[in-house]
Amino acid sequence: MLDDAVEGLPAVVVPGLPPGWERAWWQPTRTVLAVLVGLGGILPLLWMISTSLRPTTLPAAIRFEWIPPALTWENYPTIFQSFALGRWLGNSLGVILVAVPLTVLTGSLAGFALAALPARARTGLVVLSVAALLVPTMVLWVPRFLIYKTIGILDTPLALIAPSIMGTSPLYVLLFAWAFARVPPATFEQARLDGAGPLRVWWSIGLPQVWPAIGAVTVLATVAYWSDYLSPLFYINNQDYYTLPVGIQALQQSNPTGWPLLMAGSVALTLPVLGIFLVAQRFFFRLGR
Amino acid sequence: MLGPYLIGLIGLIGLPALLTAGIAFTQYDALSLPQWLGLDNFGELLRDDKFWNGLRASLILVVVAVPLRVLGALGLALLVQSRGRATAFLRGAAYLPTLIPDIAYALVWLYLLNPLYGPLNGLSQIFASGVETEAVNPVATPGIWLTDPRAAQAAVILLLLFTVGEGMVLLLAALGEIPRDLYEAAELDGASGDQQVRHLTLPLLAPSLLLLTLRDVVFSFQASFVAAVIVTHGGPYYATTYLPYWIYRNANEFGRYGYAAAMTLVLYGITALLIGGLFLAARRWREVQYAG
Repeated sequence: MLDDAVEGLPAVVVPGLPPGWERAWWQPTRTVLAVLVGLGGILPLLWMISTSLRPTTLPAAIRFEWIPPALTWENYPTIFQSFALGRWLGNSLGVILVAVPLTVLTGSLAGFALAALPARARTGLVVLSVAALLVPTMVLWVPRFLIYKTIGILDTPLALIAPSIMGTSPLYVLLFAWAFARVPPATFEQARLDGAGPLRVWWSIGLPQVWPAIGAVTVLATVAYWSDYLSPLFYINNQDYYTLPVGIQALQQSNPTGWPLLMAGSVALTLPVLGIFLVAQRFFFRLGR
Repeated sequence: MLGPYLIGLIGLIGLPALLTAGIAFTQYDALSLPQWLGLDNFGELLRDDKFWNGLRASLILVVVAVPLRVLGALGLALLVQSRGRATAFLRGAAYLPTLIPDIAYALVWLYLLNPLYGPLNGLSQIFASGVETEAVNPVATPGIWLTDPRAAQAAVILLLLFTVGEGMVLLLAALGEIPRDLYEAAELDGASGDQQVRHLTLPLLAPSLLLLTLRDVVFSFQASFVAAVIVTHGGPYYATTYLPYWIYRNANEFGRYGYAAAMTLVLYGITALLIGGLFLAARRWREVQYAG
């Protein structure tokens, strides 16, 4: 199943190795490396899953277990019933429901305008966007914390949603800009001659032409907001507003060695991401090229 | 139409940079008004052992982990670039760890590195730095991943090395852009496989490798921070109290936003120096390539 699922994930056409590489020593080395890579990639997830199925009633393990001595699904209902995980899941979904559509709107708007700018201004803004991409999150959080506090959105879900007003990441704006740049300019010119304003051209002519970009940004932004651990860590103190990632950290703080429950939480956080990527790669990773 | 984007760039990236520079010269607890301190915060920085320790730990991490990550991504890309089901599976497997959300990824590593029944405990002894550690498990080799300073640093690097899948995807895309004819031409000229990789593939990949290196430098600050918060708690003996984590503790725990801002300013500087330095090095390299 996994084989089927991950096939073609990074959907790019690549040529084979240059011929001379197929040397006698290279083939076995290559196989060994491949096995290591395969194991290294999959084992952390498998360990996560296998530990999540270990009954909490068993005494703690004293040596490493590939598969626990007994298996149970109980840990999954338990984490959602005995902890506030249900509420935090709701918060996570709420953030996504607001932030992702907003990201697509502001990101595509900016990308559309960016693609239409004169060459010089466009280059300037692209350079600025790339520079913004290279600013580490770690230098931004202290001042953002103070700004959010000043405007009164600290410790509210708005602090988590805030980046979506700028299309969440300059990368998404650039993705939209590239997509719009590939649409023949005549398409927009015609609409403009017919008297449509820029907003109208963007909405009814532009957006329908860039479905792959909309899909890609939706997927990337959804996963980014779903996985976002740092924003709630920095800006949210009130447990009522926790999202799932910090919720799972809270779970760990209340029960540091409750591995089966912690791993169940981790699996619950990871599987939707895998699911989204599996579905997505069938759609737009191919469509987009 | 660019309005929201520009407002966001200014409000969420530009303004914070200015604010950091302003607050860095004050004493500020985010409750009462900031008080002007002049250069006092920076004077304190010079005397703060934990700051220098964090700076060193962060730089060691960048110098060790980033080249390993870039080389790993390159190696992977070359390994899995051919078509076929097996390589498609490998690509998926290599990409898988990058999809696991930060917190889940850190927790699974915390579990795997535990001293009692961690599967990699035997490996941890390699990094033993001779600091006294207590044997926790008489049955098996005790893992010292989280109790020995050097092993803990190695553990964080290990944790960063498992997520090179994204870099691999970027390099695969770049490899796919190289026209096949170039290899055929090189073949006709009698270039061996190694020569083709050295003189054709690598120079053509250079811009992507530079991009990836820059991204990894920026990424390493964030990834090491999450590892420090969840896996090592900055320890043992502050071995993994990287600069971003020390900033976090100062702001979050001690309420010293002014001092944290001063350190953030240093982090800005280091990032700019690293990125600028890499750019210059890349340009110099290109000049040498074309001159020769």
